[in-house]
Amino acid sequence: MTEETRTGVNRRNILKLTAAAGIVAGSGLLTSRAAFAQGKLSLKGKRIGISTAGTDHFFDLQAYNAQVEEVKRLGGEPIAVDAGRNDGKLVSQLQTLIAQKPDAIVQLLGTLSVIDPWLKKARDADIPVFTIDVGSVNSINNSTSDNWGIGKDLALQLVSDIGGEGNIVVFNGFYGVTPCAIRYDQLVNVIKYFPKVQIVQPELRDVIPNTVQDAFTQITAILNKYPEKGSIKAIWSAWDIPQLGATQALTAAGRTEIKTYGVDGSPEVLQLVADANSPAAADVAQQPAELGRVAIQNVARYLAGEALARETYVPALLANKQNVGEISRKLGIG
Amino acid sequence: MLVDAPYYIPGSLAEPAPSNPQDPQASGPAYGQRVAALALRGGSLAVFIGVLVFFSVTAPFFLTIGNVGNVLGQSAIAGVLAIGLTIVVIGGGSNVVTGGIDLSLAANMGLSAAVYATLVQAGYGDPVAVIAALGTGLAIGAVNAAAITLAGIVPLLATLAVMNVVAGLELVLTNNTVVPASTELLLALSASGPFGIPVLAYVLLGFTLLVAAVVQFTPLGLRLYAVGEFPEAARAAGLPVKSFVAGSFLASGLCGGFAGILSVSFLSGSTTGAGDMLLPVVVTALLGSVFSRRLVPTITGTLLSTLFVGFLINGFQLLNISSTLVSGVQGLLILLVVSATTLLRRQENV
Repeated sequence: MTEETRTGVNRRNILKLTAAAGIVAGSGLLTSRAAFAQGKLSLKGKRIGISTAGTDHFFDLQAYNAQVEEVKRLGGEPIAVDAGRNDGKLVSQLQTLIAQKPDAIVQLLGTLSVIDPWLKKARDADIPVFTIDVGSVNSINNSTSDNWGIGKDLALQLVSDIGGEGNIVVFNGFYGVTPCAIRYDQLVNVIKYFPKVQIVQPELRDVIPNTVQDAFTQITAILNKYPEKGSIKAIWSAWDIPQLGATQALTAAGRTEIKTYGVDGSPEVLQLVADANSPAAADVAQQPAELGRVAIQNVARYLAGEALARETYVPALLANKQNVGEISRKLGIG
Repeated sequence: MLVDAPYYIPGSLAEPAPSNPQDPQASGPAYGQRVAALALRGGSLAVFIGVLVFFSVTAPFFLTIGNVGNVLGQSAIAGVLAIGLTIVVIGGGSNVVTGGIDLSLAANMGLSAAVYATLVQAGYGDPVAVIAALGTGLAIGAVNAAAITLAGIVPLLATLAVMNVVAGLELVLTNNTVVPASTELLLALSASGPFGIPVLAYVLLGFTLLVAAVVQFTPLGLRLYAVGEFPEAARAAGLPVKSFVAGSFLASGLCGGFAGILSVSFLSGSTTGAGDMLLPVVVTALLGSVFSRRLVPTITGTLLSTLFVGFLINGFQLLNISSTLVSGVQGLLILLVVSATTLLRRQENV
């Protein structure tokens, strides 16, 4: 078998796999919708603690606000605290929240090793703990996007776009955050079978705050290190704020032949994907508001005595140059 | 001489010779200013108590032992840092621009915490990690001290530069990631002690008592005040001014290292973003003056200021009010305090 046919076959397989994933995701959406319709959920007289690592990104702001709204809609009283991406504040707020003895605590994002001891203390204090995008053994139910699916879809799109070979630059600064770790592992799993795809070493570290500026600087430096076109094929990050900085750096340096990939569906990045001349190639959009609502509905179900699955998956939608208009409409952006 | 020393030393700007104990009242501030200072101090204490009463009434849960203990524990890290800063401010004078200040404290805590967590990850035990974290803090303090007393750089600039170096070292050590750590000491520190009050709360109170005893009630502390308030007079009286200033930075460096250990226990490891602590700590230390007899930095004043901020944040959460308002309240208070003390001092100097 020659190299060309092998790549060709693989590319077809990739497209098939992606299509199949789409169908699975779509059917998941239908079943979860159907489930919401049945039964009247209520949180009347319940105090629900809502704690978030921050609200400075599109994703967490949407999920946070949707939780607060949903608790109110179901007749409960939200006690909502925002740690502003400060771990010390996050732990203090959780501590106080536990002492307030709410009927449940829902934790949105956060570094597992930092929050887990406190989620355990909440559980020890007989407060049911729920999480969004945090895989903790102390949580009764974790509402999350299917990060394995997200990671695989994004990796397959990337590998397909670059024709199964070339150097890719990877931002891997938040491996301690579970969803980011899963997405990264899926990228590694996929490129394992494409030996001509290489991750440029050392991997880059994305940072918070100043994510965009920092990614811009780091990518500009990488471009100086690899000046010839084709030496870098794509840039991958586990979320799309580094992707935003990377895309801007590519445009500024005139290296638009390099494609960028990310996750979260931030409106500004989806806009770039929609721009035919932009290096932003794909962004997997989660449905943050839906995640927030589902988590609160799960709390109501649990308090009503229903048994819950360990994880509730809310489908994610991969937006690429072809379908970005449709996806943006679905998410209610633009 | 030392029994009534704290009675007249703190704050008496107009008193150039601290070695003259015979006549404490003669050169003290005039009556009017003392009344104004008393009013400001009384006013701020009244505000503090008023806030506590308000929260106790509106949030019934506020005044429980568990909650007060939580606030004390949550204030431990900021409190230790603010106390370290207070020592520097006492020894260097409270002029914010040319006086004593240590901007490297928060970064110091971050690096010390990172050193601790990294060593634990590498398989070392608590004793090694504790010594290394405190050593890191002390080393940073020594660099500050050298830059300020040997090279003669203004503390504001020297510690700003050191802050950047230290923050960079932390990035190199941790790659800007979270380094989880769990040891017996860390678990003991993050657990609850007698009366269900967090151990960190006891640590803060014990630490404050210790430092307050040294700074407010020993000849050493007395001389530190003298050096900060009137270095020329202190030098004329035969005090080694540079050694005192250098010592204050060593002490604050040690506080940074100690806060680093507390931070590792509170956050179950070392995390990024230690630099965020800097401004709140500076504000807390500056605000501390208002809780002292003569509007000068004191250790107990700084503790009260730390707790005031802690109770505000806690009360706002209990009342379900956005905690972003806390920074606003804090800013307003500091503006009030700084302008009031500045005005008072200008009158004194006329």
